[in-house]
Amino acid sequence: MDRKTLVYFQKGFNFSQDGPGNRLVYHLYGCNLRCPWCSNPECFAKDAKTQTQSVEEIADEILRSRPMFFSGGGVTFTGGEPTLQFDALRELLQILKKEGVHTALENNGTHPRLPELFPFLDYLITDLKHPFSEEHRRITGAGNETILSNLRAAAETRQLALRIPLIHGYNTSPACVAGFVSFLSSLPRRPDFTLELLRYHEYGRVKWERHGMPYRVSGGFVSPEEFSAIRGAFLGAGIPLINT
Amino acid sequence: MNQNAKHTVELAKALFREERSIKKLTGWFRIRETAAREEQKYRSLSAERATAALLREELTALPLSISENAVFAGTQRDAFARTYALINPSFRVETFAGYCDPTAVFGDIDPDEEFPKERIEKLRQYTLNTPYVRELTAMYKAAESYTGEVIYFVEQVTGHLIPEFGTALQYGTLDLIRTAKEKAAAETDPERADNLLAFADALDCAGLLADRYRAIAAQKQAAAEKTGDAEKASRFGRIAAALTRVPRYGARDLYEAIQSFMILWEIMCIEQAPNPYAFSVGNADRIFEPYRHGLSREDAAALFCHFLVFFNVADRSWAISQNLLVGGRDIDGNDLTNPTSYSLLDAYYEMNLPQPILSVKLHKNTPDRLYAELGRFFFSPGVLTPSLFNDDSLFTILAEKGVAPEDIEAASVAGCQEPLIRGKDNANTTNSWLNLGKILELTLTGGVSTVTGKKLCDFEKIPAKDLLPRLREQFYKNMETAVGWMVDSANGASRALSHLRVPFLSSFMGGLDYGYDTRDTDRQGTKYNGSGCLIHGLSVVADSFVAVDHLLRERPEDADRLLDALRTDFKDDPELREYLLSCPKFGNNLPEPDQEAAEIANRVSDMVNRSLNYLGNPFRADWSSPTTHLTYGYWVGAMPSGRKSRDMLNYGVDPLYGSAESGLGMRMLSNMQLPFCKMCGGYASHLGIDPKYFPAPDFEGKGLQFKERVIEPLFFNPAVKGVSPFYLYVNVTTPETLRKLLKNPKKYAPSGVYIVRIHGTFVNFLDLSPDVQEDIIRRLDPASTADIGA
Repeated sequence: MDRKTLVYFQKGFNFSQDGPGNRLVYHLYGCNLRCPWCSNPECFAKDAKTQTQSVEEIADEILRSRPMFFSGGGVTFTGGEPTLQFDALRELLQILKKEGVHTALENNGTHPRLPELFPFLDYLITDLKHPFSEEHRRITGAGNETILSNLRAAAETRQLALRIPLIHGYNTSPACVAGFVSFLSSLPRRPDFTLELLRYHEYGRVKWERHGMPYRVSGGFVSPEEFSAIRGAFLGAGIPLINT
Repeated sequence: MNQNAKHTVELAKALFREERSIKKLTGWFRIRETAAREEQKYRSLSAERATAALLREELTALPLSISENAVFAGTQRDAFARTYALINPSFRVETFAGYCDPTAVFGDIDPDEEFPKERIEKLRQYTLNTPYVRELTAMYKAAESYTGEVIYFVEQVTGHLIPEFGTALQYGTLDLIRTAKEKAAAETDPERADNLLAFADALDCAGLLADRYRAIAAQKQAAAEKTGDAEKASRFGRIAAALTRVPRYGARDLYEAIQSFMILWEIMCIEQAPNPYAFSVGNADRIFEPYRHGLSREDAAALFCHFLVFFNVADRSWAISQNLLVGGRDIDGNDLTNPTSYSLLDAYYEMNLPQPILSVKLHKNTPDRLYAELGRFFFSPGVLTPSLFNDDSLFTILAEKGVAPEDIEAASVAGCQEPLIRGKDNANTTNSWLNLGKILELTLTGGVSTVTGKKLCDFEKIPAKDLLPRLREQFYKNMETAVGWMVDSANGASRALSHLRVPFLSSFMGGLDYGYDTRDTDRQGTKYNGSGCLIHGLSVVADSFVAVDHLLRERPEDADRLLDALRTDFKDDPELREYLLSCPKFGNNLPEPDQEAAEIANRVSDMVNRSLNYLGNPFRADWSSPTTHLTYGYWVGAMPSGRKSRDMLNYGVDPLYGSAESGLGMRMLSNMQLPFCKMCGGYASHLGIDPKYFPAPDFEGKGLQFKERVIEPLFFNPAVKGVSPFYLYVNVTTPETLRKLLKNPKKYAPSGVYIVRIHGTFVNFLDLSPDVQEDIIRRLDPASTADIGA
């Protein structure tokens, strides 16, 4: 039988940023989208330093890291887009679930088989970058139909942390915001559903340049006034927001 | 803060400024000169009685004064020289000499009219001919081929104890004198009887010093009354009044207790002048709380501000490594933090002095309030940060070591982080120092230094192809041999030092119960006794073993090449060095090097812990390296780990800087696997933490996050089997911050004081020598401590 492997470009602990408590976070290599504001462009950079380990090796590493999963922590797979390594990821999540490790997945929602992972996940973090498919495709390279259907499935069955990155000039127009609100209002509302609005930052710029790739976002910052108006639109529709 | 407290604090700050303006320290010289001059008079007495008599002569002759800013009488200034290497700007790592010259201190006085060359030289010559110096010199001579390049090192240990002043504070020294005399009268053993009388004589010196200070205070009171300065008259009147009572009689309030303590401490230091480093107060909150009697937090804190200034000597706070503890638990797990703990913290924060070191004892029931109040220390740039101890682990280790349950809660630290029982434990901390890196180097070469080419010892010479596969076996064999040499030398140093009796200190170390001097090397004068051995180079050797395994497995044809490369410090073989550096390293939560380090720590600790000192008590494995990772590293050649010749060794039980690059979490996981239960002498570990990891908006919140994200996982982690880590110090800063400070000290430290942690002690970063400043910056080592989200 083939030993399944996972390729990642970074790993380490962080606290409460990618799931609850202290978490061991694996950034898996590869992404099917090309969001211009991406803060981890090394996930698709050809010259990125990566490491490949078998599912068993990573499982061992995670299990021996348990003493650091304090305050309700565990392991998070993010990226890149972790579901591009679907089979190995599913096998690893199965092992971890059996061992009682708290698991989280941060993904872009584009994988059609994403719901197959739900039984092995305690916490799902997904981005929604644009409410309209054509615009989504124009900006990121892929439409959002699968994302919306995965989000609906997730919202019905499990703890979902939805994040909307707000980038001025891309997805902050009143029409866009109305589209986000309309979609979210149509979702079943579980009590543990959360939505966080992430304001544009430029932490990724230096990494794009380091990997010899042009950074194309300009004027992406969201002003305090604009941000306040967008928050107001969500809150006015009865959609609560969180801030991690 | 009320007006009275505010004024008292202002006086303390003025007192500290005054102390820092002192550039010349000559009291120790006068003390030794008095002893040399008067020694003839007491030749007919036993050594113990003569020492007590000379202590009286020294205290009678010593010029005394009380500052205009003082609230208490007393100083440690007369016991110390301007000597300590780390805070000496001329210190360089290459200046380590391989021996402790007890007469080197005479070079620390610049000759002038009062102290001309001839006067200094005369006393130096006298000192050279004392039995203590002769014996110590002979010991070093016998060991010089071993200590010259630091296979091991030994020293005579002064200071480094925790006196039990509690009884004296409560009942007074006259009560102790009465006890000593009664016991002497009832004693059938003439030596013990004589010692007890010596202790009584030495204790009587407390009254003498109090009287001398009282007279000065009374004069100052009278002078202030004459000029109509009511505040000063009242202040000096209070000192004079207190000294009519303490330390002869029991203290009735906090003021008297502090005054009493200071007089006792001053004499204890003078008895060992020059340079009795690292005496420890113990749990000051427990010592002083019974005397607080409802005094408010701020009023008590204001008095403690003066108490803290007392521990600072002259322009660089030369009396280094003095510890003061707060917090902790009792044997049943109940918290012993009290209102005085918080007053002491306030005083520390208000004053932010380079001495004494603050250590905080924690346990799983430590109240959140203590963590919240510690936040301001960790997160204010340039403010001192406490050492942190885990009482839960420490209690287990001490119990396993044979400390009686009723003694355990008096566990404190003396020196950097070495655990001892207050008043009952002479651990001879820092008596010996073992260099694993050098022993590995000499194992690889058959005893020839790759640093100098000298033959240092007769380790078996084995060809590389035969040696490397059994390198561990050979290393441990040689280690046993080296530990044997070290033990002989260390015990020799202790025997030499035992010529210098300490009857005053012994009275507070169990001498009144046992009838012997605490330094006696033939009869035990203190309930617990051992000899500390500081062990260097854990991760460098672990990484070396792992690299050799990989080389033999992956590139067996290069085995011979390794020894050549080490001999030439990789000059002609950078490729091999790159390969060795790429092998797994300790500190990254990787099973291979982590298990190796644990195994080395286990085996070497066992070797040390089963070695016996001069009284037949065990040595104590102490995995600390108080900047000696620099000085000893300078004498260690290139290592199979890829570390270059003369580069530093790893600090304490930490990974070598730069070799743990997977962040704080992974580093803590590696650390947790070490056998702390074997480290009964202590150990050192440091984390340089990025303040961004604690985003709470205020100090209290950050303090609680520090508990949640660092202390609980490291100290009180339910997922850890066995004994959890019990010591940590941190610098919550970044290399960039410290480099900016060095570039522009006036901007970033306008007061001239910017406190950082250096090992067991904290220091003014700006006082440090450049080599040590650079060490601190390098060991902040962001890759090993900054997690990816930070």
